[in-house]
Formats: sequence, structure tokens, C-alpha cells
Amino acid sequence: MIEQTVFYIFSALLLLSAGLMITVRNPVFAALFLILSFFSTSAIWLLLEAEFLAITLVVVYVGAVMILFMFVVMMLDINLSALREGFARYLPIGGMVAISMALSMVLVINAGEFGLASDTVQRHGADYSNTKELGVALYTHYLYPFEIAGAILLVAIIAAITLTMRGPRSSKAQKPGEQVLVKSTDRLRIIKMKSEGADSEPEKDPLAESKLAQSEDITVKKESL
Amino acid sequence: MDLFENMEDIYLAIVLAPLLGSVIAGLFGKLIGRSGAHWVAIAGVGVSFVLSLLAYYHLFYNGGEVYNAAVYTWLNSGDLHFEIGFLIDQLSVTMMVVVTFVSWIIHIYTIGYMVDDPGYQRFFSYISLFTFAMLMLVMSNNFLQLFFGWEAVGLVSYLLIGFWYKREPAIFANLKAFLVNRVGDFGFLLGVAAVFMHFHSMDYIEVFEQAPALASVTVNIWGDESWSLMSVICICLFIGAMGKSAQVPLHVWLPDSMEGPTPISALIHAATMVTAGIFMVSRMSPLFELSETALNFILIIGATTAFFMGLLALVQNDIKRVIAYSTLSQLGYMTVALGASAYAAAMFHLVTHAFFKALLFLAAGAVIIAMHHQQDMRKYGGLYRYMPITWITCLVGSIALIGFPGTSGFYSKDAIIEAVHLSTLPAAGYAYVAVLSGVFITALYSFRLFFMTFHGQEKMDKQTWEHLHECPRVVTIPLLILAIPSLIIGAWFAGPMLFGDHFAGAIHVAEGHAVLLELGSHYHGEWYQIAWQFFVHAISHPTVILLAFSGVFTAWLLYIKFPTVPEKFANNLSMIHRLLVNKYGFDDFYQKVFAGGAKGIGRLFWQMGDVKLIDGLMVNGSALSVRWFSGKIRQIQSGYLYHYAFAMIVGLLLFLAVFVHKLI
Amino acid sequence: MISKAEILILMPEIFILTLACLILIVDTFSQDPLRRVTYYLSQLTLVLTAVLVIGFSPEQTVYAFGNSFISDGMSVVLKTGVFVISFFAFLYSHEYLKEHGWLKGEYFVLGLFAILGMMILISAYSLLTVYLGLELLSLSLYAMIAMHRESTTASEAAMKFFVLGAIASGMLLYGMSMIYGVTGSLELGTIATNIESNGDNPLLVFGLVFIMVGIAFKLGAVPFHMWIPDVYQGSPTCVTLFIASAPKLAAFAMAMRLLVDGLQPLLNDWQGMLIILSILSMATGNIIAISQTNIKRMLAYSTIAHVGFLLLGLLSGTPSGYAGSMFYIITYALMSMGAFGMIILLGRKGFEADELAHFKGLSERSPWFAFIMLILMFSMAGVPPFLGFWGKWFVLKEVVDAGFVWLAATAVFFSIIGAYYYIRVIKFMYFDKADSMTAIKASKQMRFALSVNGLALLILGLMPGALLAICVSVLSIAA
Repeated sequence: MIEQTVFYIFSALLLLSAGLMITVRNPVFAALFLILSFFSTSAIWLLLEAEFLAITLVVVYVGAVMILFMFVVMMLDINLSALREGFARYLPIGGMVAISMALSMVLVINAGEFGLASDTVQRHGADYSNTKELGVALYTHYLYPFEIAGAILLVAIIAAITLTMRGPRSSKAQKPGEQVLVKSTDRLRIIKMKSEGADSEPEKDPLAESKLAQSEDITVKKESL
Repeated sequence: MDLFENMEDIYLAIVLAPLLGSVIAGLFGKLIGRSGAHWVAIAGVGVSFVLSLLAYYHLFYNGGEVYNAAVYTWLNSGDLHFEIGFLIDQLSVTMMVVVTFVSWIIHIYTIGYMVDDPGYQRFFSYISLFTFAMLMLVMSNNFLQLFFGWEAVGLVSYLLIGFWYKREPAIFANLKAFLVNRVGDFGFLLGVAAVFMHFHSMDYIEVFEQAPALASVTVNIWGDESWSLMSVICICLFIGAMGKSAQVPLHVWLPDSMEGPTPISALIHAATMVTAGIFMVSRMSPLFELSETALNFILIIGATTAFFMGLLALVQNDIKRVIAYSTLSQLGYMTVALGASAYAAAMFHLVTHAFFKALLFLAAGAVIIAMHHQQDMRKYGGLYRYMPITWITCLVGSIALIGFPGTSGFYSKDAIIEAVHLSTLPAAGYAYVAVLSGVFITALYSFRLFFMTFHGQEKMDKQTWEHLHECPRVVTIPLLILAIPSLIIGAWFAGPMLFGDHFAGAIHVAEGHAVLLELGSHYHGEWYQIAWQFFVHAISHPTVILLAFSGVFTAWLLYIKFPTVPEKFANNLSMIHRLLVNKYGFDDFYQKVFAGGAKGIGRLFWQMGDVKLIDGLMVNGSALSVRWFSGKIRQIQSGYLYHYAFAMIVGLLLFLAVFVHKLI
Repeated sequence: MISKAEILILMPEIFILTLACLILIVDTFSQDPLRRVTYYLSQLTLVLTAVLVIGFSPEQTVYAFGNSFISDGMSVVLKTGVFVISFFAFLYSHEYLKEHGWLKGEYFVLGLFAILGMMILISAYSLLTVYLGLELLSLSLYAMIAMHRESTTASEAAMKFFVLGAIASGMLLYGMSMIYGVTGSLELGTIATNIESNGDNPLLVFGLVFIMVGIAFKLGAVPFHMWIPDVYQGSPTCVTLFIASAPKLAAFAMAMRLLVDGLQPLLNDWQGMLIILSILSMATGNIIAISQTNIKRMLAYSTIAHVGFLLLGLLSGTPSGYAGSMFYIITYALMSMGAFGMIILLGRKGFEADELAHFKGLSERSPWFAFIMLILMFSMAGVPPFLGFWGKWFVLKEVVDAGFVWLAATAVFFSIIGAYYYIRVIKFMYFDKADSMTAIKASKQMRFALSVNGLALLILGLMPGALLAICVSVLSIAA
């Protein structure tokens, strides 16, 4: 009886927070409601004696993923009005689709179909390790799907890096050693130039060595002409 | 001998070598140059010829077995097996040797004839391709491949008639050939379809085995009229043969096909392709033997062609057209032999005719080269002084054609005439009269051509006369090579082919129709004895010989002795003359009624149907409306993600509604 | 417990995964701007994996890892097809990336992972592996599309594909959960027997509808096709080429596994769904393609139309029908690869030959490649004797045999409409004047590969018997 009461409380909380999560205007609140719904779910899982999953949900999703997400939401300046534009316009048709979908589900699905109506969940003793059971299942019977999941994660990492990495970025730190070694000639170069607007000069490769000497040559030639 | 162990490989090589030559000459013509192209094509066909000889030797002298198997299964689709297979028996191997030999000679001759032509490589590619197609046709063991070969030779023929595609008449002629052949092919296809429908097989042997059981089956084609199945099939198939072998009334394309280069006229329109119909009917002899109706039909068509087409040769002035009409007439002879159930005689005449007619065409080609592509015989005359080799070979061809005793044409033609004489079919009487009088006509037009070209007054213009000389050796040697079989092959093969077991098993003749067997009872012994007996028979029953000689004599009178007489004839008998010049009006009739009618109907449909209804309403209309529609619905593809997602969800809901909730 | 035999069966997958990781490391240390080592290693991996697949192909159907992995005739043939096609796709891609100057080693690594995903999908025998294989494949493809960061269209395409793909796989997963809930098993064989013994249940059809959405999305059947035109057009051509070819085989396998292996007892239901999808796809694809001016987009709609045809074979519900579809999808992959290869061939740095107008007068610029394109277009239009004709022929034959003559007639009708836009390309190539006579700049390998690709359609079209026989034999054993 108590268990059922707890279940209904958390279920209600879950539905409520999930609903609010998609309707509240402030994205920070939305993220917080998502965290709340994770908590509720985790509580329900505890009722089902799925301790490992419940803890993982809290640790991984609430502790890591959602906090990261909060940071992102707070740092980005999301234009809310743009996101909500057209919401009202599409509401009737969207609502109709949603209702008909829900209706369709309700008409077909009932608990009896899944063989859950009569039985209660089987209880285990105190020495029963949920974690161990999961581990055994994962690493024996479901080894193959487990490995594929690993490959998927690897692809996700490769993809994420490929799509975001733009090559090694040059840092802008000072290098004192090089600063000390520099000579005045490296810094300053005196080039003789003739004034603009004179006869066209043959173009010179700007990267050619000893520019000074060259330009002097040219001026000499000019004079001799 | 090891050589004969893998006959399948040899047969494959026979077919594929010309194809390879054709592909190389055609696709890489520029790369290998002119001489490269002719070498590769000649080598391909040469290999094919040598291997055909080998196959011939294997089958006749080495005790080889008849080969019948599929070499490649293209596709199985229910009852229908698309297969490529070979049936190599006495009939096909004979054809193979003839086809490859003549083709090979003509390949060589072409070097000389086409020497200045810009389409040299293309030409070699085509004739090699033709050889391939013809071999596929001949070697086939099923109707499908036969049909493939049938269409393929038709296609190459179309391409070659229009080889000089910039010449208006050539284009007209190839279109005409194509269309007329289409009529025949339609009948042929109906025949093949009927075979498949009732026999559930495309394989020759399977069909032939079932044929007697279906001999009395009747079908209703139109209303309650019931037809013998065999007659329907055979007549349909024969209509195909009529198209390909140019029998009246589907003959009109052959004279026009002379617009093609002369080697083609020799190879395709005299020696091989046009005889495909004859070959096909011989091949189908187990079917044709079951239908006397069809045989009578064949006799009438053949006899009409043999006589009346020969007459037309008398008024033609184009040297190639004379030979073309002569070919028509000779094909008529072969057809008559088929109708009289003397399939072996038809095949025999086919073989001898292939040699001497190819010879005549090539000789005419040599004359045409010398006369700078002038084809009007009235501009010739007295050429024997300048072109001795051509003269002598042309004479050989002509005497073979008229059936001069001892030449090959003598044996084959005599056999046909005698066979028709012995035939008991109702139409045989008419056919006998036609082929007999045909002998006189043949002699007359052959020697008209011969005298007008080589003798009498020299009527060519001065410039041509100054350059007149014998053709190069690459032209004359093929003539000489062809002259040999034209002379002797008849005597050698008359016995075995006509009365012996040369075609045993390959040709089937029913009890009551065995005219050749009956004829053969008079001839005994080795081949030379039989040849001698033929000779004696011809002397003792001199009608045929006398007719031939009187033909020659008349020609001499009219064209050498009194050259003005034909002119008078033409004037006095203008009715008949005009009838002949107009080719009995077949061409005009077709041109006006079918072509004109089709054009008229076409124009009507074009204006009423096409322009207004189809173009206006359907094509442009439907194209426009489809485009319009297309433009409209592409707007659904708006580019907005949520539209896409929405479409997916609507689709999902639709499916749920239809399949889960059964709302529709 | 896992036995050594099971590991051996999985050898090709293990091998390709290991090599992909190895190539990733090698690539990190590679300084070569052309990434030759990476490229050649990737191609070598494909060849070796193909050898392993054929070498380890079992005599009869083998299951492994608690029946979540299956190795049968169909898997061997489709995987081999994937390798052959990917080999060509990598070759074209390497040329394209080199030319357009954004060659990255990760492209090939992700490609290999995508291929691993296809292999898993093809060999999947439980709902879980189907889903995971699909995700591995899709994820790699999203990344490959988005890889060209300078291109805004590519980013847009990747985003659309990603979001819609997520929706579709969500639906697929939901459908799977329904099926699992009713049958109590993830394994396809058990699901089939459970449904058989427990009879009809609306929930099953409910789940089936959602699964069907996932399949239709992956194949690109109307109305779940919306991603195809945008993704095909927006992606870099080499990625489009890859997406349009090999993954189609995997998608076909996915349909086969889920519908035929798992949900065969619901044949009557999914047959109806497939009929609707098929007609809508053929109609929409063929009609909209007509008004396209961008050839990539046109080919996208042609894909949709082809999918409609493909479904015809599946919905006939017989092993020979499945064989027809399998033949169809293999031929389709070859054709679409060649067509996109042509676009790559004509393109050069800073220029994508993806407008129809770019094909104008191709016969003057390059008679040979105009001829290859002619083969491709005729084959796609279904003109005999090219390969595409046989695909259509077999599928139509099966549909007629299954008693849907009207459906076959509809299909023929739409394919006639479809012939218009294929032949229009040929008209452009042969009867229009070229806008520019720029010589075609492409490497020897590219020219050779494309010629092989095109001629294969002609040669296989002349002798389609062997390929069909393979398809028929592997599927008649499976059924």
C-alpha cells in the first residue's frame, strides 16, 4: 500500500515535471524540470529494485549530462521568441495529431496485453545483486549488442571530433627566448623607394633576398639611364 | 583424334570469330587502320571457314555425331527457356561451309571494291557481323535463336543497303527492305508464337518429335472456321521465308537493295541471307510435311516468282538489277523444290546458286569498277577485249545459271524440274510449266546481260574507254576461286545430296511426297556415275537443254545479230513492255496503296490524332499537366524540417487508421 | 557461454572493426595531404573483409550470440555486394575529395564504420541488433555528410537527416518495444513462432506500423521519403553516392529480417502497407522527378520511384519475389553508383556538375562517357537489354504471379512516365550543344572504374541469369 502510494506520487511528479519541461518559457527552468523528472524516474526504478539503473541515472544524467547542459543553456543566448514563433499557429493541427495519436494508443494498448495485469513484481532477497545480474547479462548473453553499442560510441566520438576540430590552434603566448635573440635588422629594414607616380618599374619579387641591395641596383641603373 | 573431342569449342569459335573481327574492326577501326580492319575481319571469317570445313569433315568423313545442345542458358522464365544452342547436323554444316566460304571470298574481294571508300572499316565490321548473324541463324537449335539470327541478318542487311547513307535511293531502298521484311517477320513471329503455344517448347527436336501427334489438331482463328494447326503454323513460317527470300508478293525490296555496295549484293542478296528462308523451310521439313495445304501454297508462290520475276530481268538495263531479278527467279526455283518436298534439291540449288550467283555479282562488280560505277548496260559493250578474266568468269557464271550440261547449275536445276514433274500435288502442274519455261527466260536474260556487256559495239564514253583495264588481282582472284565450284561442285554433289544420305536425318520427307527418292531410283552408283547419268538423261530428254540453248540463241540474235530488234519489240508490244518495266505494278501498287495509304492515314491520324489529340491534349497536355502537377506537389517538399516530420507522422497515423483501427 | 565457433563466425565484423580503429590511428600520424595510406588501407580492409566473409560463409544458416546474429546465404551475398559497391564508392570518393580539396582520413574510417553497421544490420537476427546496426550506420552517415564544414547545404542536409532519422528510429524502437511486449522475445525467429502460436493481436499490428515507418524511412518510401531529396542534393556528391548505393542493400536486408524473418505471420497486414507505400513512391518519385533541374535531386526522386518498384517484390510474399527484390536492389545500387560517379567525373574543383544542363552536349565532349551515361540512364529507365530492365521484369513477374495484376499495370504506367526524365538526360547529352567544351579532367582509375561500372550494366544485362540464380538460391534456402 505504501509502495503504491509512493509510486503514484513519483509518477505524478514525473508526468508533471515532464509536461512543465516542454512548456515553461525559461530554458533554465526547463533543464531543471528535466532533472526533476530524472529523479522521479530514478525513484520509480528503485521501487522496482533496479538500484543500479537508478543510481546510474542520477550519477550520469543528473550529475554529469544535465549540469553540462545547464552550463550550455546559461552561456548561450537563446532567442526564445523565435523558438516560440508559430506555436499558436500550429497548435490546432499539432494538437489534433497528438490527440489522434494518443487516442490510437489508448484504444490498442492495455496492460493486459503485456501480461502485467495480475502479477506483481518478483521480490528478491537482501543478497541479490542487481549490478551483478546486469553485468552477467551484458557480458554474456548480450555481449554482441554491447560491443556494437561500444562501436557506436566510438563513432560518436570520432564524428564529434571531426566535426568540431579545426586543427591545432596557434597560441598567442609570448616567447621570451626569441624576443631576446632578435636583432635590430630583423625588426627594421631600410628600403630606398622612389616617389609614387613615376615611370613604371619592373615588378620585383618582394620575397627575393637582399632587397636593399637590389633596390640600390635599380636606383643606380636609373641614374645611369 | 584429339581435335574432334571438343567440338563444342570449335562450334563456338566458328560463331564468335567473325563477331570478334567485327567488333575489332568496328570499334577500333581508327586505331588499327584500314589494312588492320580488313586483316582482322578476313582472319575472323577465315578461321570460321576453316573450322567449318573441319566440322564438315568431322560429320561426314570422321563419323562424327550430330551435335545438339544448349551452350548457354540465358534465362529461364517458366516454360520459356531462353537458350543459345547449336544443332549441327548435315543441313547446318553444309550451310556453314557455304556461308563462311562465300563470305570469306567476298571479304577479300571487298578490299579491291571498297578501296576508295571512307567507310572502309565500317563496311568490314558490318559484313563480319553479318557472317556472325547468319551463322547464329544457321546453327541454331531453337526457334528463339533462329528468330534472333533472322532479325540480326535483317538488321545488318538494312545497314548495308543504306551503307552509302548520303544517297537518297539507298535510304529509300533500305527503308523499303526493312518494311517489307517486317511484313514477313510478322508472319514468322506469329508462326514461332504458334509453335510455342501448342508445343510448349522452342527446341527444334522437341517440336519435331511432337509434331506428328499434333498433325490433326485444328484451331479456330476466325469465328467457327477451323484450320489445321500445321497449315497455320507452316504458312505463317513461310510468310517469314517469303519476306526474307523475296518471294512474290514480298519480293519488291530485293531489286532496290542493289543500291548497296556490290559485295553486299553478292553476299547477302544472292548467296546467303536471301536463302535463309529456303534453309528455314528445309529445317522445318518435319512440320511442312504435315501440311499439304502449305506445300501447295509454297509451290504456287515459288513457281510464280520463278517465271514472272525472270521475265522482268529481260527489260532491266542496270546490270545489277538484272542479276537481282535473276536471283528472285532462282529463289523461286528453290521454293518450288521445297513445295515439291524436294528439300534436298532446294538445298542443292541453294549451294550451287550461292557460288555462281556470287560469282556473277562479283563479275558485275568488277565491270562496275572498270566502268567507274556506271551500271547501265547500254553504256557497255565489247568488254571481253579489255577484261579477259572477268569475261571468262562471267561466262562460267552464266552457263552455270542457265544450266549448261556439266556445270553445277545444270544438276541442281534439272533435279528441281524433274522433282516438280514427279510431284503429285495439285499445284505441281502449274509449277512444272512455270519452271520449264523459266529455263528459256533464264538463258535469254543471262546471255542478254553477257552479250550486252562483253560483246557488241563499245558504247562507253571516251574517258572511260581510255582507262579501261582488267581489275587488280584482289578482285580477279576471288572471281577465279568462285568459278571453280560454280563449274564442278554440281557434278560432285548431285548424287550424295539429292539421292544419297547427305541430308539423312536432317530433312524429313513424308511417304507420299518422296519425289527425290522416286527420281533417285533411276540413278545409281558413285558420284561420277550419277553425274554421267544426269548428262545422258539430259541428252535423251532434250526439252530442258533445247530451251536453254534456244534462249541463248535468241539472245545472240537480238543483241548481237540484230541489235535494233529489241527496240522494235518494245515499241510494238508497248503494253507488255510497259507492264514489265513497271514490274507488273507491284511497286507502284505498294507505293500508292500501302505506302501512300499509310501516309494518308498517317497524315490523317497525325493531324487529327497526333497534333490535336495526342500532342495537343495528351502528350503536351499530359506532359504539361504532369509538369504542372509535379510542380505543385514538389511544393510539399518545402525544405522545412517540421513539414517533413509532420508528413511522417501523418503517414504513421494513416497507417494506424487503416491497418490497426480498420477505419478504411 | 560464447564458444570459439561463434567468434569465428563473427570474424569479418571483428576484423573490419579492428582495422577501422587501426586506420584511425595510422591516419592520425599520416602527414600525406592525399591520405594515400589511409585510403589504400581502407580499400585493402574492404577486400580482406570480403575474402573473410566469403571464406567463412557457412554451408547452412548459422546463428550465434544467443541468436542475435545470423549468417546465411542472403547475408553473404548482400555483404559481398556491400563490399564491392563500397570499394567503388571509396574510389570515387577519394577522387572527389582530392579534387575538391577537403580530403580527410576520417572520411574513410567513418565509411568503414558505416559498412560495419551495414554488416551488422544484414546479419541481425534480433530486434536489438537490427536497431544497433541501424544506428551505427546512420550515425556514421550523418557525420560523413556534415564533414564538409564549409558547405552550408551539407550541414543543412546532415541536420535534416539527423533529426528525421532520430524520429524514425524512435518510432522503430517504439514499434519494437510493442512487439517485444507482446511476444516476450527480442529474437526474430522466436517472435515469428510466438505470433504463430498466439494468434492475432491488434498490438502486433500497432507495433508493425511503427516498425514499418522505420523501414520505409530507411528505404525512402513515400510518405517517409522527405529526407531523400534534400540529403541527396545537399550532401557532397561522394557522400550522396555512398548513401545512395550500399546502405540500400542494408535497408533491404533490414526489411527482409524484420518483415520476413520476424513478422511473416503478419504478412497480410504488411503486404497492404507495402502496397500503399509502393504506389505512393512510384507515383511521387516519377512525377516529381520530371520537374527537377538538379540531377542529384532528380536521381533522389528516381531513387524513391525505384524503392516503389523494390517493394513490389517484397510484397508478393514469396521467396522468388524476395529474390526479385534482392536482384532489383543490387542492380539499383550499381546504377545509382554509376550515375553519381558521372557527376563526380564531370565536376572539378569549385564546380559540381549537378545541374541537368551540365550534361548538355556531353557526346561531343566525351563520346565514351556519354555512352556510359546512356547505358546508366537506359538501365534506370528499364530499357532492355540493360540490367535495369531485368530487375523490373523479375519484380513485375512476381507481382503478377502473386495475383496483383493491377499493381503491375500501375507500376508499368509509372515507369513509362519515369522513362521521360531519364531519356531527357540522353537528349541533353546527344542533341544539345554543350555550354562549354571543357575537357574532362579525371584520373585513369576514375575513368576505368566508371567504365567498368557502366559496362557491367550492359554485360550483366545480357546475361542476368547468373545473378538471378544466386538471389533465388540464397532466398529459397532461407525461406
